[in-house]
Amino acid sequence: MPLRRITLRVNGTTYTGEAEPRKTLADFIREDCGLTGTHLGCEHGVCGACTILMDGQTVRSCLMFAVQAEGAELTTVEGLADGDRLHPIQQAYWDHHALQCGFCTPGFLMTTVEFLNDNPQPTEREIREGLAGNLCRCTGYQNIVKAVAAAASTLAAASGARRETRTAAPSRATDVMAAPRKTDGTPAASQRPRHSGKTAKRRSGPKR
Amino acid sequence: MKPAPFEYHCPRTVDEGTALLAEYGDDAKVLAGGQSLVPLMNMRLARPANLIDINRIESLAYIRDDGRTLRIGALTRQRATERAPQVSERCPLLRDALRLVGHAQIRNRGTIGGSIAHADPAAELTAILVALDGEVTARGPKGTRVIAARDLFVSYLTTSLDPRELLTEVCFPALPAGAGWSWMEIARRHGDFALAGVGVVLAARGGTIATARIGLTGVGPTPVRPAEAERLLAGRSPSEDLWKGAAEAVRAAVTPDGDIHASAEYRTHVAGVLTQRALREAWERVREAA
Amino acid sequence: MKLEGTNTLPASVDTVWKTINDPDALRSCTPGLKELKATGPDTYQATLQIGIAAVKGTYAGTLSITDKRAPTHYKITLEGTGGAGFMKGEGSVDLEAQGNGTLLKWTGDLQVGGLIAGVGQRMLGGVGKMLIGQFFKCLEERLGGSA
Repeated sequence: MPLRRITLRVNGTTYTGEAEPRKTLADFIREDCGLTGTHLGCEHGVCGACTILMDGQTVRSCLMFAVQAEGAELTTVEGLADGDRLHPIQQAYWDHHALQCGFCTPGFLMTTVEFLNDNPQPTEREIREGLAGNLCRCTGYQNIVKAVAAAASTLAAASGARRETRTAAPSRATDVMAAPRKTDGTPAASQRPRHSGKTAKRRSGPKR
Repeated sequence: MKPAPFEYHCPRTVDEGTALLAEYGDDAKVLAGGQSLVPLMNMRLARPANLIDINRIESLAYIRDDGRTLRIGALTRQRATERAPQVSERCPLLRDALRLVGHAQIRNRGTIGGSIAHADPAAELTAILVALDGEVTARGPKGTRVIAARDLFVSYLTTSLDPRELLTEVCFPALPAGAGWSWMEIARRHGDFALAGVGVVLAARGGTIATARIGLTGVGPTPVRPAEAERLLAGRSPSEDLWKGAAEAVRAAVTPDGDIHASAEYRTHVAGVLTQRALREAWERVREAA
Repeated sequence: MKLEGTNTLPASVDTVWKTINDPDALRSCTPGLKELKATGPDTYQATLQIGIAAVKGTYAGTLSITDKRAPTHYKITLEGTGGAGFMKGEGSVDLEAQGNGTLLKWTGDLQVGGLIAGVGQRMLGGVGKMLIGQFFKCLEERLGGSA
C-alpha cells in the first residue's frame, strides 16, 4: 500500500508524516508524532483510553484513520499541563487519588475537558454519565467522580475571575483549556511537548 | 490489532462518491462516522478492499426543516443533531434518543446516515424512523430513489439499499403540534446498546388519544412497529389500564433473542414495562403542552 | 446457545426425509455453502462463506449425520473454523406427519467462539436462527411450497 503524506496539528505544533491509509490516528499520534501519552486499550472503541480532542471535540483516536485527520487540530493529554504546572483537571485527579495505574487516565482527562466545557456545573449523576465511555479497572470510579466535581469548582472559580478581565469570548473548545493559563483564552505557548517522532516532522510552532 | 490493507478513496462530492461506489460496489464499504465499521476493521472481521470515506463531502452535513419534515444530511453528526434547535423544537423524540446513542466521543463522530445504513438491531434511530414513518433518500447508478422506513430494514445489519447506492438524506417527520413523546430504554451501562428500547408519540384530540406511534428496538432483527398496540390506543381515553393493555400488545408483537446480557423472556418483559412508562410520560407531556 | 424451531413442509414424511438426506438439496439450500464433499457415508467436508453486512467469514469444517432412524429422525454434528472464529454444534431433526404435509422440528446447540463471538455476541443467536430459517424456506420451495 502506498504511503500517504499527512499533515496535522497536535497541541499547537504542526506534524507531517507518511502513513498507510489503514494506520489509525492513535498509532500515528504515538508512533509518528512521538506523543505516547495517548494510550491504546481495546482498539475497538470500548475503553476510551485513546480519547483526544479533534477540532475541540472528543473522539476515539483508535476509531479514525490518520488520513482522516489531515488538516485537523488535535489536543492530546500532553497539551493539558503548562510546563510543570498541571491543568486544574489534572491537579484535581492528583488531589483526589483518581488514578492508580494511570493507564486509562489520559482518556479520562480528555473526556473531562470536553464534559466540563459542555456542562460546567454537573451533578454527580451527570458526571457518571459523562464518564461512562471510559473504563478504569483500578479505582472503582469513586475518586474520579470526586475529582471531576472538584475540577468543576476550580474551573468555575477561575472562569469567574477571568470573566472580569476578558474582552473577547474564547471559543467553546478552548474555554476549559484556557482556564489555568492566560486570561485571553489562548493556550500558553511557552511549554511544548518534546517531540521524538520517527517519521513525522515538526514544521512550525504555535503562534505566539 | 490493525486493519487489513485497503484502497482509500476520499470523494469531495456526492457525484464522486456514487461514481466510486458504482465502480467498486461489492468490494467497497462507505466510511461515515466509522464508530461501528472501524472496530470491525480493526479486528479484521471486516476487510473491505476499498474504503470510500465520505467525511469530506461537506454538502451531506445539514439539517433542514421543510415545514413538515426534518431533512437531515447523511453525514450530519449525531452530536450536532442532538444539539440543533430545530430538532429540539420539531422532533424532541429524536433529540432524547440521540443522547443515549453511545457516548459523547462516539456521537461526535457518528452520523445520522451511518446509523441508519448500519441498521444495528438495537439502534435508537432506526426505531424512531420506523415509528414516525420516515424515509431516506439514496443515490445510485440508476438515479435517486426514496425508500420508506418500513421498506428499508430487512434484517440484522441489513437494509434494502444496494451496495452501489449512497444514502444521502434521512427524513424524520416532525411531531404534530401538541403531541407528547417519550424515549425509554434499558442498558447495562449508560451508553451501551439497549437491551430493549421504545419510542412513543401520542397525538391528542381533546382528552383522548387521536393517534399513537410506537417503535421498538433491541427486540428482533429489525425495528418493530406494534400495529396492534397502536390500534388499541387510538381514539381512547388515557388510563393506567390502557397503558397496561398496550404493553401486553407490545409483548405479543416482539420476538427478541436471548444472549449473555439478557434472556428473550426478560427482553419481552422489559419491552412491555418500557412501553407503559413511555406512554405515561408521553401523555404527561400532552397535558403539559395543552 | 440453544436454538429451536418448527417448519411445516408441503410434502409427505417420506419425501421430506429423502430431501433432507439428499446432498444436492443440502448443497443448494445451505446459506453460503461453497463446497460440500462426501468423505464417507453421511460425513461431509464443507466450506461455508457467511457474511452479514461488512462482516464476511469463510469457515471450513466437517458435517456428519448420525443416529438415523428413517424416516423420522437424525442428528447433525458440525464443526468449523475460520478467520473470524470457530463454531461447533449439534442438532436434531424430527419429522411428523401433519395432514398432507410434514411438521419438521429442529433443535440445536451451537457454540461459537473467537473474535466473532466477542464482537457479535448480541446478534449471533438471531443470525443463526435466520440462516437456519433460510435453509428451511429453501427446502419448502424445493418441495413445491408456496413460499
